Amino acid sequence: MAIKIIQAGLFTTVQDLGRKGYESYGFSPAGAMDYKAHTLANSLVGNDSKEATLEMTLRGIEFLVTSKTTMATAGADMELTINDVPYPIGKAIDLNEGDKVVFGGVKNGARTYLAFNGGIDLERELDSYATHTRSGIGGYKGRALKAKDVLKIVGGPADGLLKEVVKEDSEPTEIRFIFGQQKNRFDKENIEKFISEEYTFTKDSDRMGARLEGEPIVAQEGHDILSEPTQFGSIQIPKNGQPIILLADRQTAGGYTKIGTVIKVDLPVIAQKKPGEKIIFRAVSIEEAENLYKESLQELDEEKDLIASNDFKTVRRIDAMSVSTLIGG
Amino acid sequence: MEVKQYAEDALTVTLANEVDEAVNASLVQIKEIILNQDFKGVTDIVLSYTSLIIYFDILTADKNKIIDVLENIDLSDLSSFEPSYKVVEIPVYYGGKFGPDISRFKEKGLSEEEVIEMHSNKEYLVYMLGFMPGFPYLGGLDEKLYMARLDSPRKSIPAGSVGIGGQQTGMYPFQSPGGWNLLGRTPIPLYDKNRDQAILYEAGDRIIYRAIDEKEYYDIEEAYKNGDYQVTVELRGDSDGN
Repeated sequence: MAIKIIQAGLFTTVQDLGRKGYESYGFSPAGAMDYKAHTLANSLVGNDSKEATLEMTLRGIEFLVTSKTTMATAGADMELTINDVPYPIGKAIDLNEGDKVVFGGVKNGARTYLAFNGGIDLERELDSYATHTRSGIGGYKGRALKAKDVLKIVGGPADGLLKEVVKEDSEPTEIRFIFGQQKNRFDKENIEKFISEEYTFTKDSDRMGARLEGEPIVAQEGHDILSEPTQFGSIQIPKNGQPIILLADRQTAGGYTKIGTVIKVDLPVIAQKKPGEKIIFRAVSIEEAENLYKESLQELDEEKDLIASNDFKTVRRIDAMSVSTLIGG
Repeated sequence: MEVKQYAEDALTVTLANEVDEAVNASLVQIKEIILNQDFKGVTDIVLSYTSLIIYFDILTADKNKIIDVLENIDLSDLSSFEPSYKVVEIPVYYGGKFGPDISRFKEKGLSEEEVIEMHSNKEYLVYMLGFMPGFPYLGGLDEKLYMARLDSPRKSIPAGSVGIGGQQTGMYPFQSPGGWNLLGRTPIPLYDKNRDQAILYEAGDRIIYRAIDEKEYYDIEEAYKNGDYQVTVELRGDSDGN
């Protein structure tokens, strides 16, 4: 079972929940920018969240299916056709040999996750499928996908009929954060500015960091610090005063002041922002952030059970499945 | 000691605000103490110059238990323990085509041989890793070898390059752009996913560079590929920290 890439999209990489346990050796965890969408796409085909998905950015891939399987998508709404027939994002869909699957541009959000039944057949590098393109580690040959790549898929068609993920339509502009390591370097006036002004995503943003533009923030006693560990979501304020939110592919140590850390549950919101979109920061307590994160992880787990146990809604494609499978479920 | 939380899944323990060998030694010991507790859900402990971060799984780890143990550590007690660490020997072919910037030290009155003599056969302390996987922030560079970064950084520095940037020395496990003065190169892959230790050293370990000639460089490279080269690693101190 395999898929053959015809067009690789703008930036498509193999990801999982990140390479944990190697930061002490300087390895960026990498992993899905949007852990929720990654997990949901996996759940839709009955996979554990540890399986690899393809993270597609702004414009998705085109591929040829070489044998029957089932795919699922979650995350940003993106154009999708199979043999020129349009299909929605957020569903599991059966695929047949010879199908041509074409993802187009995003309509909403920035990153769409594509999972296959049983996962993608690759070897883990340092216990993870996550691609870190800067060091050429993990995923498919340590790089973004290219035309003519062939990805092996573990499973054939998924059992049972599969459910769809209901997509939240709202696009929050508020990003919650907890105060960071160098909060004391920022006076009242600058903190006030930080939480009241709008910041815009610039086109220099990538998997390493979201570079924002807005009212500059000034640190007392300078913007440089002794290099120290960074976190997924650390909000750095460099000398020009424009915030950078460090993301999945960040360097594990950095030497700029950190005013705060974006809370975990809002990282998927950041992952789905496009250049030109605006956000406003709001401070919350660590306790609130912890509770929200625990709830989010539990919800994802429950959703997975629900998907696995329910009477499923759609999308068995007649052209992909034999009649007996359709009736037999 | 200050224990703070800047992320849902991480505790930051800060000991000082300056680079100091003794601080590093204390951080290494705190890491050992936490690891020896076998806490459920602790996924990684990352050292830096003045602090360490304990990462944990928010659903399975008991954060308060970890904080309890941390708060009961007697810092003055730590100095009586000798932490265990590795001394990793890295063979380096200095000068030639791999070390184009070694001649820059002539302006400081240092010949190539003198630079090699001062840079090798000396133990450097690994304070932390970062910037790129396996990139060590080393302490102990001879002041005479301090050398400002290049005015215009190179677009690509090959993996294995050993160099000096300002007051620091270190090496590049991966190809990368960079402005460091290149002194030489090691034939050993600094990252090898198929090796028992994909990265040979961690914070608290020591690195010692050994000068080799061009022939030895290619011999070691060949031997390593064939699985016939063992990196020289000396273990010091007791493995359980006593």
